[in-house]
Amino acid sequence: MLPLKLLGRDWRGGELALIATALVLAVSCVTAIAHFSDRLTRAMYIQSQSFLAAERVVQSSKVVPQEWLSKADELGLEQAQTTVFASMLSAGDEFQFASVKAVTDDYPLVGHLEMRGNASDEPRTVQQGPAPGEVWLEARLLPLMDLQIGDQLQLGDGDFAITGILDHEPDRGASLFSMGARLMMHQSDLAETNILQPGSRVTYRYLFSGDDAALNSYFNWLKPQLTEHQRVIDLEEGQPRVARTLDRAESFLFLAASLAVLLASVAVGLAARRYSLRHANYVAVMKSLGAGKNKILGIYIGQMTALALIATAIGLAIGSLIQSQAVNLLEGFFPVAPPPSGIQPLWVGLATGVACVIGFAMPPLFRLAQTDPMQTLRQDWSNPDKREWLGLIPGPLSMLLLIWWLSGSLAITLALLAGLGLLIAGAAVVNRLLVRGRLASLGGSWRIALGSLQRRAGFNTLLIAAFGTGLLAMLAMFYARTALIDEWQMQLPENAPNHFLVNIAPYELDGVKQKVEGKNLEGTEFYPMVRGRLIAVNGTPVNERDQKDGSIRRELNLSWTDTVPADNKIVAGEWWSEDLNEGVSVEVEVAARLGLSLGDVLRFSIGGLETEATITSLRTLDWNSMRPNFFMLFAPGSLDTFPATYIQSFYLPPEDKLFVNELVKNFPSVSIIELDKILENIRETIGQVAIAVESVLALMLVAGVLVLVAGVRASIAERLQEAAVIRTLGGRRQLLIRSLMIEFGLLGVAAGLLASIGTEATLAVLTQRVFDMPFQFHPGLWVIGPLAGALLVGTAGTLACRSAVSQPPLKVLRELA
Amino acid sequence: MSVMLKAENLHHRVSTSEGPLTLLNDISLQLPTGQSLAITGASGSGKSTLLGLLAGLDRPTEGKIWLAGQEITAMDEEQRAALRARCVGFVFQTFQLLPGLTAQENVMLPSELRGERNAGKRAQEFLERVGLGHRLHHYPRQLSGGEQQRVAIARAFCSIANDSSTADNGILFADEPTGSLDAHNGEKVIDLLFKLNEETNTTLVLVTHEQRLAERCGAHLRMAAGEITTADIPDNYLGDQAEVSV
Repeated sequence: MLPLKLLGRDWRGGELALIATALVLAVSCVTAIAHFSDRLTRAMYIQSQSFLAAERVVQSSKVVPQEWLSKADELGLEQAQTTVFASMLSAGDEFQFASVKAVTDDYPLVGHLEMRGNASDEPRTVQQGPAPGEVWLEARLLPLMDLQIGDQLQLGDGDFAITGILDHEPDRGASLFSMGARLMMHQSDLAETNILQPGSRVTYRYLFSGDDAALNSYFNWLKPQLTEHQRVIDLEEGQPRVARTLDRAESFLFLAASLAVLLASVAVGLAARRYSLRHANYVAVMKSLGAGKNKILGIYIGQMTALALIATAIGLAIGSLIQSQAVNLLEGFFPVAPPPSGIQPLWVGLATGVACVIGFAMPPLFRLAQTDPMQTLRQDWSNPDKREWLGLIPGPLSMLLLIWWLSGSLAITLALLAGLGLLIAGAAVVNRLLVRGRLASLGGSWRIALGSLQRRAGFNTLLIAAFGTGLLAMLAMFYARTALIDEWQMQLPENAPNHFLVNIAPYELDGVKQKVEGKNLEGTEFYPMVRGRLIAVNGTPVNERDQKDGSIRRELNLSWTDTVPADNKIVAGEWWSEDLNEGVSVEVEVAARLGLSLGDVLRFSIGGLETEATITSLRTLDWNSMRPNFFMLFAPGSLDTFPATYIQSFYLPPEDKLFVNELVKNFPSVSIIELDKILENIRETIGQVAIAVESVLALMLVAGVLVLVAGVRASIAERLQEAAVIRTLGGRRQLLIRSLMIEFGLLGVAAGLLASIGTEATLAVLTQRVFDMPFQFHPGLWVIGPLAGALLVGTAGTLACRSAVSQPPLKVLRELA
Repeated sequence: MSVMLKAENLHHRVSTSEGPLTLLNDISLQLPTGQSLAITGASGSGKSTLLGLLAGLDRPTEGKIWLAGQEITAMDEEQRAALRARCVGFVFQTFQLLPGLTAQENVMLPSELRGERNAGKRAQEFLERVGLGHRLHHYPRQLSGGEQQRVAIARAFCSIANDSSTADNGILFADEPTGSLDAHNGEKVIDLLFKLNEETNTTLVLVTHEQRLAERCGAHLRMAAGEITTADIPDNYLGDQAEVSV
């Protein structure tokens, strides 16, 4: 009971308020981030899964054995099925090629469909496709075939009633070659159409959802049985762009959470250190009154445990509240309502509280219990202890364990450890430079400021390291966030090509060009394309080299051009010139996979004829550019003897969507791949992730400010006393304010400088190792760091010490006595 | 008359950056229960160090000390703390009241550390005895210097009054008890200290600069450079067994 009683009394005295506040903020920040990140991750995964319309998919060009589906039933997995093929629709005299999708009742397992019962209605969300006997059409098919809702159309031998306009299907992007406008029908009507015959080009997709254990068990069983006609698609494979965004966002959020923990811990550590210093005389008095070391430890550990429990509970509650409010506020931005988070964030918050208390708040208490009771007679509370550094071990150690657990990455953890070590070493060096300043030649306020810095040289190293950590975390997160979001936006710029025209016959080329250019659309150049298969390298048949590489098994799109395409870069060899006008340029990654190098001779089979080309250059290319990209680019003229078609991509604004109908009508044999809906979905996901990243940055700022406040408060009593003494001796207010601004400003500049170095190093590691992005130097950082340090620390320090200059000095001295 | 405090051949040295420094050199003394001893000397003479060693706050480099019949130099820190909790009270020059606690809570603290139940009631009784019954719930910053020292005296006597309203057989160490007070308040505090000392039959050891205060004690040691230079021990005061040896 005594610890609780003393806790209550100490609280009244205001001693424990800062440490409790720091703990509450630490736990609430981390809990909020963990909750937020957990909910967002869940939301993002739900949305991402909706790209597949399921959690996992088996795609096959043939009907799979019934046994596979029975096994999924046994394991309690939900199932649905889609069958996609291209076919001709007819209505009266109108004929139109369409991409038909037959779906079962349970489709989609994840995500939803959007449709309209009438053209004038608002789209509504539905969880099921059309009923048997009915079809839904994509809007542009209706005017194209002069049809209305309620009309009948023919597909194969079947007659179907048009009952809706299909506005959205979650897995539209599942196949890039879902060419033509969509018709959706019920799976049970397929037989009636008599369209699907042996040999028909059909994509069967078997959709599965369920708990992770059942899914893993099922796919572990299934995978060995898959043939070359089948493959499993999960998020990573289905939407690599989204998967990568999620991965990076997750890395960022975990890193931000780790840094928030670190910042909050530093705040707790500073507050605890101040608490223990201020309690040294309490302990000396208690010891002289007969309290033993164990009793003292019992009292203070009991107090701290009670405080930690209360503060952690409040932190958990506040953290949960903040995140729920944040999610409510941002609800409109989320395409998918974030589901409730699990229990994990509460564990993370609790672990943070425990780690902060054990690592940072407890060690000073152990040292406190060692206080020499003779101090009551010596009037010396400084309690110098050569083993003080031992107390610095548990903090970073507990943080490292926590960060390791949070980030799941030993590399990140060790990088942070190294960064922290360097920061403290740097702080010591910078501090030495600061305290070397010559006082005699300086003006009044500078002399007071530098004198103050010199008197607290040891503690200032800790303070510069703490401020530096705070600034580093804020700067690193700000720059990492900017880099991430910029990179994501660059991946999909506003006017990224969203339509591909393929199979343009040479005789149609001029017409199509005219049409596209007449519409003033931003498009790529028209690339010729022939389909061919790589059959031998340096005379050795490829099936004897590497059977597994898909690039070898399937037909490749071969093209030629005289200029290096945009976003392509020659990394070895030479591009075509007057001296070099034959050969082939190969994409660097496929070359690496196939073991190809410059000078190798490749033999291709094109439409039954064979041709050879020597590799003259290797290229990198950007698969995210939404432009036609080719593994193999030939010298102009090399493939003239083979029949070619042309391909192009362009950006079509949503309001011009009916232009697609014009193209279809004018050039019926040209296939149009519409990626606008897929890109829109991806953009929404990226936007959502960006919001998460921005929100986390705001929480990081709170944690950073907390460190500043704790750091300033940690040394405030001494500064207040000195200021009061100077004022008593006739020092003017302005002189004191200036000296405080100079002192904290210099500490801020030193911390900011270190933070700039640390941030640049951190960004170099983060961008290259974690986010997989190229290194970039940030000259602005070297100005912003010291400037932000001077402003933030200078302002916070001067504001915190303002009572020293605004109150009568006698009052300050009496309160501090 | 039993012996409350005895020291034999005390030496105390500390190491400094300039080499070892002798703070006390061969001090021996003996004090009977219920008597009072003043230690005077210039600053740095070693009087506060001696006080701390006699109270068991630290251990001498050499020599032995017995307090209330027990050899505290053979005890570890925990045992010495337990002994202090039973029979030692302190009054400090700068009062050493805990600023977050009220007057009553400060006085209660020693009893609470011993786990006693009626700490509040006893604290109130002692505060009333020092004339501060009306200031129970005031914080140190709301009290004058003289009042703060009276609270410290109440705490010291409460500290050695085990479950009774008296502090029989306890010992009170006072380090410059009037050092932070003006003459008037200093006088009042000293009167109070000796009054309670007499009422409770407590042994008193005090360190002071004030000759007048030292003269009120039964015995008086003068120190310089860590050694006792002179000792005034009235014959009628010492009795047969008590002695202060130099």
